[in-house]
Amino acid sequence: MVHSFVHLHTASAYSAHYGVSWPEELVQAAVADGADAVANTDRDGLYGAIKHVKACMAAGVDPLLGVDLAVLEAVEGGAAGRGAGPQALVECGRVVILAHGGQSLAAGAGYAALCRLISSAHARPRGPVGLTLDELAAGVLDPHTKAPALTVLLGPFSDVGRAMNGRRYLLPRSKFRAWNAAMPPGTLAVEILSHLSAPGTPLSTTHAVRLLKLAEEFDVPAVLSNAVRYGSAEDAPTADVLDAARAIAPLRHVDDLQPTGQGWLKSAEQMRKIAREILHQGGFGTAELTQLWTNTHQLADKCRLDPTTDLGWKKPTTPEASVLGLTQEPAAELWQRTNAGLSHRFPGLRGKELEDVRVRLTTELDTINELGFASYFLTVAEVSEMIRTMGVRRAARGSGASSLVNYLLGISAVDPIANDLLFERFLSRDRSTLPDIDLDVESAQRHNVYHRIFEKFGSQRVTLMSMQNGYRARGAVRDAGLALGMEQGEIDGIAKDLWRFSASSFREAMAEKPELRDFAARVERNRMAGMGEGQLDLLVDLTERLDRLPRHISMHPCGVILGDSQLLNRTPVQASGMGLPMSQFDKHDMDAMGMLKLDVLGVRMQSAMAYAVREIIRLHPSKSDVVEAGNHPVDAAGEGPAYVGEGGHIDLDAIPLDDEPTFELIRSTHTLGCFQIESPGQRELVGKMAPREFNDLVIDISLFRPGPMKSNMVKPFLENRAGFAPARYAHPDLIPALQETHGVTVFHEQVLHTFHIMTKCSLSEADEHRRRLGNPAQEPAVEKTFRDKSTANGYSQAVIEEVWETLKAFGSFGFCKAHGAAFAVPTYQSAWLKAHHPAEFLAGLWEHDPGMYPRRLLVTEARRMGIPILPLDINASTGEYRAERTVGDVIGIRLSLADIYGLSGAELKRIVAHQPYDSLADLRDRGKVSRPILKRLAQLGALDSLQRQAQGISGNTANRADLVAHVNSLPAATPSRRQIMEGQLHLPLGELELGGLPALLPALTPAETVRTELDLLSLDASAHLMTSYGPLLARLGVTTSDRLLGLRNNSEVLVAGVRVATQTPPMRGGKRVVFISIDDGTGCVDATFFTEAQDKSGPLLFGTRMLLIRGLTRRTGPRGISLQALEAWDLSATDTLPLPPVAAAWGPAELH
Amino acid sequence: MGTFSDGIDVVQTAAGTPLHLLWQGRSYTLAAEPLRWYERRNWWDEELRAPLGTGVGLVDREVWRVQVRRDGAPPGTALLTLDLVKYLPAERWRVIKVHDAIHEANEPTAANNPEEEQGYGA
Repeated sequence: MVHSFVHLHTASAYSAHYGVSWPEELVQAAVADGADAVANTDRDGLYGAIKHVKACMAAGVDPLLGVDLAVLEAVEGGAAGRGAGPQALVECGRVVILAHGGQSLAAGAGYAALCRLISSAHARPRGPVGLTLDELAAGVLDPHTKAPALTVLLGPFSDVGRAMNGRRYLLPRSKFRAWNAAMPPGTLAVEILSHLSAPGTPLSTTHAVRLLKLAEEFDVPAVLSNAVRYGSAEDAPTADVLDAARAIAPLRHVDDLQPTGQGWLKSAEQMRKIAREILHQGGFGTAELTQLWTNTHQLADKCRLDPTTDLGWKKPTTPEASVLGLTQEPAAELWQRTNAGLSHRFPGLRGKELEDVRVRLTTELDTINELGFASYFLTVAEVSEMIRTMGVRRAARGSGASSLVNYLLGISAVDPIANDLLFERFLSRDRSTLPDIDLDVESAQRHNVYHRIFEKFGSQRVTLMSMQNGYRARGAVRDAGLALGMEQGEIDGIAKDLWRFSASSFREAMAEKPELRDFAARVERNRMAGMGEGQLDLLVDLTERLDRLPRHISMHPCGVILGDSQLLNRTPVQASGMGLPMSQFDKHDMDAMGMLKLDVLGVRMQSAMAYAVREIIRLHPSKSDVVEAGNHPVDAAGEGPAYVGEGGHIDLDAIPLDDEPTFELIRSTHTLGCFQIESPGQRELVGKMAPREFNDLVIDISLFRPGPMKSNMVKPFLENRAGFAPARYAHPDLIPALQETHGVTVFHEQVLHTFHIMTKCSLSEADEHRRRLGNPAQEPAVEKTFRDKSTANGYSQAVIEEVWETLKAFGSFGFCKAHGAAFAVPTYQSAWLKAHHPAEFLAGLWEHDPGMYPRRLLVTEARRMGIPILPLDINASTGEYRAERTVGDVIGIRLSLADIYGLSGAELKRIVAHQPYDSLADLRDRGKVSRPILKRLAQLGALDSLQRQAQGISGNTANRADLVAHVNSLPAATPSRRQIMEGQLHLPLGELELGGLPALLPALTPAETVRTELDLLSLDASAHLMTSYGPLLARLGVTTSDRLLGLRNNSEVLVAGVRVATQTPPMRGGKRVVFISIDDGTGCVDATFFTEAQDKSGPLLFGTRMLLIRGLTRRTGPRGISLQALEAWDLSATDTLPLPPVAAAWGPAELH
Repeated sequence: MGTFSDGIDVVQTAAGTPLHLLWQGRSYTLAAEPLRWYERRNWWDEELRAPLGTGVGLVDREVWRVQVRRDGAPPGTALLTLDLVKYLPAERWRVIKVHDAIHEANEPTAANNPEEEQGYGA
């Protein structure tokens, strides 16, 4: 007889470092065995719950939800060794808690109780995560009806089960009695399970028998489970590796490895057999077997959840009207506000043009109201306005810019009419999920913004979204290596060569990738040698097993969930890294749960720009000063532009979008530090494309995407644009849609237009077609519709064929023009700042470090631009990189104390608070600087000014090395000494101290100074770090970056520098191309490594910092040149370099 | 189970229980209800590969404690108690322990005696 079985205790992969299989796999395994329901009970939370429900719905079975939680017990602090006071809470066991469904309770009450219970288990600020028995007992009832809302499964992992070890017969019983007494009736069940371990050991059948007997004795229903951790028996070894990763110990040292590998999702038949075995061993008969089976299914039935009524599946939820301060219907409010926005945004519009805008607005509002989303837009507008009033820079990004409503509400700054952005791309009647509106804010203000959102809407309505961080290749190989007990150094050596591929294709990568060649050879040798010489083959297998498995949950970089007052009944929350509560759901769960997610993304570039604007005001505190400094246009009356305020404040959102110096800067390809266009590939593209207007930037940003790069749109576009080839249109009807990109389809919007023009479908239908492109299951239907309708509309087969090929190639890859337009705004603004106020702009970049490059490259950029780099100075430097006026009114940038290695925030604050200092003693006394920091300050030259000042009086000639030696010889300060010093040592002694140092040591060489700066500051401030390689480079015959542009195309050269960026963008044909950018002090060289060059360079490709590259120049445009690499060397391995065969090789002067 | 291990041919019932044994040229038949459990293996020391999609029998192995009587022996003869291991995926059987006074003298101490209580780590 075939029985179906419902698994009540199932951990998915979302139980980090515990579960092995994805919810879909577990559900499929259950369904394949004929189950009509299956539970998900992840550890500590509902991390996999929504994915589980989705999988159950797709399979047509009922979902059950629960959690596997620790039960906490107070112990004496001393015994726990936690030092947390007399009593500390420690985990004494784990139980499963299942939510009851609407069948036995008010709909949603069981699920809500589960969410709240989990949140309270996470509520202790210092942990541990879990609940005491009392807390648990208090949380299992529905607060409104007092009916049981949850069932606790007391099984072998509980304190009762654990008490069975060591032949203690009384302890389990007394513990069980405590549970039975504490839990309200109808909320407790006993979980019987056997993993068939050796008799008398944990998870053995004998233990199951004893638990069953306790259940009998206390008349608590017993249910059967298998405490599932993986879908199939093959996955058991992965669970072992996860046990080791959890314990952070090699497998051989982990003492709580699963006792057997029996924790898979067993079939009903296998479960029946286990049940029989347990009951038989316990001396029970068929009646009890039937009872156990029946209990299990009765509990399962009680816990079946209806996604719609229990979870509110897909029902959009927004804050209540009252919270938004509305006194009328949201739809009426939205109508009123957008109409008010018309006169503000389109002041000059009249007649037909105004009418067109009104029609568009009506269309948008109709769609929004039909979907019931008015309050959603009002909510976003509320947040956006709140950020504005905080004085924080913000910008809408993404497809939200397509909406006129967003523009009128002030959410987006991009005019969708002027830029031809389509609302249908953003929202349509054919999709009922909440649209995404993303807001970029200054990164440094992001947390403040979050706090304000919580205050404004109330913490019961707001929570941060989380994200799951899964194993990638490097992490997987590290944990696999740890499990196998390999040496840290060896694992590190392997991990460093793993570069951007998924761990699951490790073996494949070993066969293909040159940087893994050495490793592959070692594995091969290892295999030949047999066992004993390491376990590299096993390492590769285990790494592949770990691929993508979630490791931990963290705060999503931007998602904020806004709901109504019931939000915390719908998602469990836990503390995030920044303290605010964070949902256990990630972005994939939002639509399913109808949750409104607002992306408030911290963008460092916005902080950098805001900083630059403040620095400009600080140095030029009036409108006329700023106009003069920035060379801004003045009118006939000598009055500067309106975007510069009287106090010198520049309104970046109001600067004109046709500023010639800005475009000239962009065309020069010196765009390091500019938003979106600073990468090597982008610098090459802007060099080729030579943007002349704002829309060119929109196109440029949209072209530089995987889709267009892969489908080779870039080349025809550039050729057509340059006039080398005439633009080609498959049919004249398409000219209006494709003209701006010279016949090449770049934007999603153009695909929509193409469908609309040729098939006469609506734009909203066209967007549905677009979304199905590239999906093998759905594309054929789109193709048929396209061909049929276009034919009916009189287009020739040749035209249809050509257009379809374009659409098909476009797939779902292209870019939404609204995204490009939204991105182009900060791109343009940053380029504008770099063109007009370079020093202040670079100071902002150094301060907020927004780009893809290390800060030291932006220091090099300042050097290239002739901006003075002002050294650290104990009196002139602060905790920020500040613009500073130097001789001749040139603006330089003063290095910040903040990035000195090891300097704590408190020390920094203290130093800055007591500036200026008149002597070393003064600095010690009032700044209370510790000796190691004092030494670093001396090494970095920050005390030079004090020394010079003292020497000016005494005529002493000691140098920085003498000063460092002196500081080094000072006794370590003790608290008592310091107090004496405060009273006595202040006045003249300091000057004597620095003014009277013995001059003993030779002066530091520039190379030594640079090395110290790199070590302590991570940047080379006094000179470029390549300077000391000068003699070596001269012997090699290296060409510098600034001279490359003067060379003929296809010249063979040697270049050398320090690596600043490595990229492996997706490429046409799927072949990997590696871009490596090096900086040689005169600028960047961007080298492209194709397959053969990768092969020749092997392991150097990713691991080496200082590179020598031989390659051919490739002219990329009037101002652009790059290198096609042929071979690379490690510049610091002098003996391997292709030096001309003279004398012995000589190394770089003392640098490496 | 120490180092003792000896090949054995096993005829199983439909349910997978060992029924007839052929061991060192002699045949035996099950004479009492057997006991079955699984024991962990330190597979990371013993295996060279563990690719995805395989792994049955890697973490644990099936152990049977059977009491058998030599075929043809008179009814009063004492039963022989053996611990058998089933190796997957090949389904090979081996004797790993003989609970017989004579054999026991030669046998290394049982490292994994299931009757010993084992701690269950927290």
